[in-house]
Formats: sequence, C-alpha cells, structure tokens
Amino acid sequence: MTTLGIAGLQTQARSWRQRVRQLVWRLAPGDLDRIVLRHSRIYILPTPRGAALLATLATMLLTAMNYALSLGFALTFLVGGMVAAALLATFRNMAGLAVAPLGAGEAFAGGDLEFNLSLASGSRQRIGITVAGRQGLPNSVDLAPGATRPIAISIPAPKRGHLGLGRISLSSDFPLGIWRAWAYVHFPLTGTVFPAPEAGAPPLPPGHHGSYVGRSSRLADTELAGLRDYERGDAQNRIAWKAVARGAGWYSKQFEGTGGGGVLELHWVELPVGIDTETGLSRFTAWILSAERAALPFSLHIPGTVLRTGQGAGHRRAALTALAVFPPASAR
Amino acid sequence: MIRKRASPPLTPVQVAWLGALLASAQWPLWSHLLIWNAVAGAALVVARVALPPKWRALTGHRRWLLPLLALAAALGIRTELGYFLARDPCVQFLYLLVGIKFIEARDARDGTLLICLALFLSLTQFFYLQTITAALSAVPVLLALGGTLASLRSGIAAAASDWRAQLGATTRLILQGVPIAALLFLIFPRLAGPLWGSPTEAGARSGLSDSMRPGSISELSLSDAVAFRVDFNGSPPPQAQRYWRGPVLSRFDGHEWRAVYKLLPGRFVSRQVRPIEYTVTLEPHGKAWLFALEHPSGLPRSPTGDPLAPTSNDIAYLTYDQQLVAKAAVAQALRYTQRSSLRDSYPGTDDNPRESLQLPLGNPRTLAFAKELRGRVDSDRAYVRAVLDWFHNEPFVYTLSPPLIEQEPVDGFLFDSRRGFCEHYAGAFTLLLRAAGIPARVVTGYQGGEMNPDGDYMIVRQSDAHAWAEALLDGQWQRFDPTAAVAPSRIERGLGAALPAGELVPYFARLEMTWIKSLRLRWDAVNYQWQRGVVGFNLERQRDLLRDFGFEGARPWQIVAVFAGAIFIWGVLLLGAAQLRRSGVDAEVALWNALCRRLARSGLARAQEEGPLAYTRRAGRRWPQWAGVLARIGQRYAELHYGPGDPKREQKLKELKTGIEALPRSRALNKASSSANVVTAPPETVE
Repeated sequence: MTTLGIAGLQTQARSWRQRVRQLVWRLAPGDLDRIVLRHSRIYILPTPRGAALLATLATMLLTAMNYALSLGFALTFLVGGMVAAALLATFRNMAGLAVAPLGAGEAFAGGDLEFNLSLASGSRQRIGITVAGRQGLPNSVDLAPGATRPIAISIPAPKRGHLGLGRISLSSDFPLGIWRAWAYVHFPLTGTVFPAPEAGAPPLPPGHHGSYVGRSSRLADTELAGLRDYERGDAQNRIAWKAVARGAGWYSKQFEGTGGGGVLELHWVELPVGIDTETGLSRFTAWILSAERAALPFSLHIPGTVLRTGQGAGHRRAALTALAVFPPASAR
Repeated sequence: MIRKRASPPLTPVQVAWLGALLASAQWPLWSHLLIWNAVAGAALVVARVALPPKWRALTGHRRWLLPLLALAAALGIRTELGYFLARDPCVQFLYLLVGIKFIEARDARDGTLLICLALFLSLTQFFYLQTITAALSAVPVLLALGGTLASLRSGIAAAASDWRAQLGATTRLILQGVPIAALLFLIFPRLAGPLWGSPTEAGARSGLSDSMRPGSISELSLSDAVAFRVDFNGSPPPQAQRYWRGPVLSRFDGHEWRAVYKLLPGRFVSRQVRPIEYTVTLEPHGKAWLFALEHPSGLPRSPTGDPLAPTSNDIAYLTYDQQLVAKAAVAQALRYTQRSSLRDSYPGTDDNPRESLQLPLGNPRTLAFAKELRGRVDSDRAYVRAVLDWFHNEPFVYTLSPPLIEQEPVDGFLFDSRRGFCEHYAGAFTLLLRAAGIPARVVTGYQGGEMNPDGDYMIVRQSDAHAWAEALLDGQWQRFDPTAAVAPSRIERGLGAALPAGELVPYFARLEMTWIKSLRLRWDAVNYQWQRGVVGFNLERQRDLLRDFGFEGARPWQIVAVFAGAIFIWGVLLLGAAQLRRSGVDAEVALWNALCRRLARSGLARAQEEGPLAYTRRAGRRWPQWAGVLARIGQRYAELHYGPGDPKREQKLKELKTGIEALPRSRALNKASSSANVVTAPPETVE
C-alpha cells in the first residue's frame, strides 16, 4: 500500500496555485479525451491591429469630447459597438469547437513527427481556425457546420526517443482580425522518434543460418522478393530495368535465397570496438531499413532487449522503437 | 523602418477595400477644403486603385517620397491659410496625408495605419457640419471599415471572397453594435467645456454683427439660413410684437453704428405683464449674444432644467442695455429657456444717457433739419411723433437694394435717394433724435418669425434680421420702429409683404405657400428634431434624461454598473443562451472526464489507449467495494458516447451522473481502501 500513500501525498502537494496554473496555462497533459472549447478555456485579446484601432477610437473620443461633437461621439460609439460585436463573433467562432486526439506518427530523428487530431465544428461554421504546436508551422482550416476533419501537426524531432505533442493552441481572429481568441489544449499524445539512419552505413553483415526456418526458405530461388538500391558490382541481369526506364532510379532485383543468405542477426556486441552508442544505433537503424527493403528477416540483440527473428511492419517498428528508447528503462 | 516581422504585401482586393474606405472618408470633406487639396487628395487615392501595377513604381521610393510629399503638402497649406498649427490646417493636411500614404502603401501594416487615419479623418467632417446628411455620409465609412479589416485579416484568401457577402457581414456587426453605441451615446459623460484649446474657430458664419453700416442688414436679409428656432409654452405672440433683441449699437461715426462694450449688469423689467416662456435653439453664430423677445424678465435657463440648479444661471448675464450676453461665444447649437414680458419700454435708470447723445461730425443737413423740426413742437414726445409722421408722409421707399451713398450717407438718404432698408431708417431716425437732444440708440435683432406647421415651432431666419431704435423719454427707454412708419406691412406680415413687386425676395420670405416650400418646411422640422435630439445632446440634456429615468444624482459607479449590466445582457442575447450552457451532446464526456480526473488524483490514471470498460474494470480491481458502481459507470458511458442515438439518453445521463456522485472523493476513496478489511456495501444508486 505504499504506492497509494505516495499518491495521496502527491494529491495534497498539488496546491491550489498549481491547479490554477494548470487551468490557465495547461502546462501538464491533462486533457484525456475529446475537448469542447468553452468560455472557461477561451482567451481573447486584441491583435496589434485591434490595439491600433482601439487607440484611434480613444483619440476620436477625446476629440469628440473636446469639441462637443455629438456626431463624433456617435461615430466613435458605432465603431466601438462594431468592435464589441466582433469580439463576440470571434468568441462564437471558437466556442463549441471540439478537438480530439487521434494518434501520433513516427519519424526518424532530424525529421518532423506528425500528430493527428480531429476537429469537429459542432453546429456552426468555423472560419480560419489555426492549430499550432510549440514549434513548426501552424495549420489553418475552415470547417462547415457539422463537419469533422483530421488535422495534422508536424513537430520537429531532432532527437531519438519519445516526443510528446505538448501543449497546442487553437486560435482564430475571425471576422475582423482585431481580436484573437485562443485556447490551450494539452493531450497526452506521444510519438516515437527513431534514430536517424546512418548515412553511408557499411553493407549488411553476412547472414546466419540458424535453427529458425524463415518463410523465405520455402520459396523457390527464382521468386522475386523485392528491390534494393543498386550497388556497384551488381549483375546486369539483376537490374530492374523497368524502374530505370520509368525514371524511378536504379534498383537491383532481390530474389529469395540469394544475397544475405536468409536471416540477419544484429548483435550489439558485433559492432566495431570503440563505436559510440548513437552511431551504433544509427547503423542498426540503417541496416534494419535495408533488411526491410531486401525482405530479409532479422533479429535484434541489444543490451536489455532481444527481438527474435521476424519480419514485417510490426517487427520493424518494435525493433526501431527499441533502438529509439535505448537504453531501455529496465537497464537504466 | 525596422520591421520585426515581414508583413504580407497588400493584395489587389485589399487595395480596393482601402481605396473605398479612404474615398468614403474623404468625400464629405470636399466642400470644406482648399480646392487643390481636395482634388489632389482624391486623385492620389483614385490613382492607387486605378493605375496598373507597373505605374506604381512609386511604392519603391517610399523612403523619400512620403516625407517629401508631406512636407510639400504642409508648406502649401501653410502658404494658403497663413497658419498651420490649428484645427483647420490639420484637417487639410490629414486629408492629403492619407492619399500620400496610400500611394506608397506596401504591406498590411501600412493598411492598419491607413485604417486608423481614415477613421479619424471621417470624424473631422463633423467639425464643419452635423446635419443629417453629414451623419449619413459616415455610413459608407463604417461599411468599408468592416470590409477592409476583414480583407486584411484573411490575406490572400480574400481574393475569392465576395464583397457583397462581406458588406452583409459588416452590416450585421454594425447592427449588433448599435445598442451598445446608443447606450454609450446616452450615458457617456459629456463635458461642460473643452479639454484643451478653444473650439470656437467656427470661421465666418452669417448672422448679425456688432456693427451696422448701410447695406449690412439688407445683405443678411437675402439669406434663408435659420438664425434660431423657438418653441413657445403657449401660443406665440402676434407678429408685430416679435422683436428679438440682439446687439445694441450706441456709437456712430457718421457711417457706421457700433456696439459699446461696457459689461455693466442690468436689471430685469418688472413683471407687470405676465411673462411668456419659450425655448430658443440658437444656431451657432460665433458671437456671444443671445436673442430674447423684448424685454427679457429673467436669465436664460437650460431647458426643462431645475430653476434652482446652480448651473442654470451660468449661461449668460444681462447688460444695462438689456442685452443677453453669453459667457462664451456660441460655437455650437445652444438651447435655452427664456421668459419675456412683451413690452416696448423699460426703465432707463441704469445707464449713462450721455453715451446715447454722442453726435459725429458731418451730415449737416440732417442736424439742421432736426433743430428746425424740434423748434416747431413743444415736447420730445411730440418731436418723435413728428419725425415718424415725416417718414410716413414723405415718399420714402422700403427696398432691399438701396443706392450706395459714399459722402454724408444720412443726408444723402434722408433728402436725396429716400430709398433704404431698415438699417437706413433706424440709423437716420436715431441720429435725428440725438440731434434734437433726445438720448437714442439703434437696436438690431430679428423681427418676426414663421411658424412651421409641421413641427409647431417658430423658425427665425436671417431674412428676418431687422434694426429699430429706442429713445429715452421720461426715464423710460421706448422702442420706435421707423420702418413701420414707412412700410407697416414689414412688421405686420414680414419682408415678403413689404418689399415692392419685382424685388428679389428670399425664398422663405415669400408669402405664397408652394409645395416646394411646404416640403422644405417639413425637412426643416426633421432637421430641428435632429438638432435638438442628437446634435444638441449635451451635458444638460443628458442630466435631464438621467433624471427622467430616475438616475438623478446617480454616482458614477452606479452608472457604470448599469452599463456593465446592460453589456452583459447584450452579450448573452447575442451569444444565445446555448453558448453558455454545456450542450447535451457532450455532457457525458464532461462527466467521464471528471471521473477520470478524480481517479487519477487517487493514483489510478487512465492509460491513453484504455477504453472506458477496461479502465473501470481496472479501477474496480483497485477498489473492490466500488467495483459494481464503476462497472456500471463504464457501461453507461460507453453506451452514451459510442453507442447509437438513444431515446432514453437523458435518463442514462442522469444515471451516469448519480453514479459518479456516489463515489467518494479521492482521499476518502483511498482511506476506505487502505482500511481494506471494512467492506461496505456500495449504495445502490445506479440502475
């Protein structure tokens, strides 16, 4: 029961100040499910253009007061009324908008990790809703009444490991661009960033024929299994001429039972002595990708994780994820 | 210019909207500007919109173009007007500046600046005119403002949007804002005086002046412009008694009568005659005097105001010669309620009669005639009667276009031309009296006034301008109108009746009622209401209004509170109650999230991919005594959120709610489970 005791302490430690801070800034991923934007979550402030307009209105008001211009008051207040109505319109454009997490994509370090959300407009039309993550380009959409559409947020992923979406903001300055309404939403969405494949990695290590009998061995030698990048020295009759003719690039045909010799075993201990961890992870990534292209079953043996020989998207993802989170939590 | 962030360049649509905004802000000012300025400013705006892009190489030279053109404009205005740091030159400059800025405007930031300048420019037209048409001319500015802001907001996407739809959207926003605007107009505090400077640079306005020379009043009489309008409490006095007293002129130099400014206080006439009460709405004339029927029996008060209010006496004071002089020049329409006793004399105890005996050199024939005539009668009163009879019997002609006499004008008028307008008669009469040793002076003002059948009020126009005389006889200043001796119909029926046929009579002074005239009178009635209700809405009217609504003596914070309440109601109405209520669609999500938060605080956070059934099952394992409740909550939530539409939705929602409320708070939950041996039966609230 010790864990419960700790949990109780944590509950008490969340002071009212922390709770207010979470309500205002949404710094922790506290939004578990679909969020419908309400007045408690929507903030509105004037844009720079709106501030300039308000300053002009103040000047006009002073002038009307000084010169006792009744129609000056009327004009100032009419514009002021329009500004106030625009504030409500800006709010209405945001209120009732629903946003839900869909999932996170995958990326190699140095690329962009894509997170998917869905926006639902509810009963009214939404115009110029801008969704922005911490970094990366904001994404702006219009929604018809009753529409639901996915929206992707790309976040730069410089390092391997887990990458959270973090706090996102939804904003809009519809209709006049003088008010900007925004809301913070923080979903606990996390994607995996694989190590970047090593550029110019050495060729795949020679295969091992172990006890495992792969699916490939049952196939005839002459059966086409896939294409791999053309390498200097490949036989001319192996070149995928059709692909060359299409202008798709140079590839060599891979036939089952040829090349690496059936099964690839990736052993951390077989890496050259003195190689640093990140380079090693990058090289394994590059090899896994090559093996995938060559339709070659592989197994992975790194400290703390052993993946048995396998093939396919799931296997590949498991292997790459193991590399991404290396060293695994249990070994740390 | 240092730019933090590149602002997107203006698209053709944005340029077109900005052009519309600037043009609609500029055109109401045309008639108040220097001609070259009006043309140049408008041409710059048109050029930017109409010229093809390759002609707009000017935008590439913005560094020096804007300062250079602005300097040239400022110098030009300074040269034409002779001064620069005043209101009118600044309006002229601003008018041209928006054109200059527009021709070199490049990006959205310039667009923002132009919007602000144009908005302020459209305010400046009200310096000159506050008529209904001036008010209407601001409507296009509002419409274009919405379109311009929207086009600047959406940037490149604006190209596809329809300008008519945009006008519709802007109109909707304006109409939604009207209640706020009206409320602010009524309760925003008005000032009694200006904050800075003096708003009296009204320029030359037509009206009486403090001097009178032959021709000055006949010139004024050609104008149909309204001098003031009057509402009578009761029936208006007959035309012959409508002498609206204005400047009193005592000093004569042989050509011109001038006012003497000795601001000695005067005394009101005793109320022997029951005074009549009326409210005057005076058009601004740039001078200090107010007009009242002869003779005022009290100081003007703010209309319908409390007679005991200390401010009511502050408008004006009475001078010894019965003139009402305002504390400040009348630079905006002024309303005051006035009482008068309809008399033609008042006691002359307060002033110095010698001032009214002063005789200039010249006009020898007149002086000699006066001496000769005075010798024939035995009293001053008989002499005055003799002079009036003489005017009546001799062939004097009442005309708007008398000949101009350079030398000895009174001699020339009395004995040679004998053609004159009221200022000739009043001036010559006064001189004749002074020459006989009777203190006399000229009084100018208005005589007459026309009832507007559409509004039941009286219009007094510049064409009713008149001059008469008063003489001190037996200690009383007695009014005499020599014009009445020559052309009695002028006093009885107005200018149109008195002038000989063939003379050019101002339109409204004519007697016949044509449909055009009646139409214009109707329009005047509308204008009068506008003037009274909107333009003339000032501190006093505001106070009256607040009193009528029971806010008399309300403290500022009370007014602010009322305003805030009204704004809140306005907002709620506009947003619709549905926006503030949690809509039924998502009620179950809110409840479910509340449950998840509570369980998370108790140390059991829901995993990201964990469904409601799995989560509640896991929670049930953790807190076994609540397992049943939790399972039912998960079941209900899954049905509500993921299931098909359900007729029993409301009931299920209620079950979900009671189920969640039945669970203890997080700390109690843990306490209950840490003393795990005590197993209490879960309350059977959910089913």
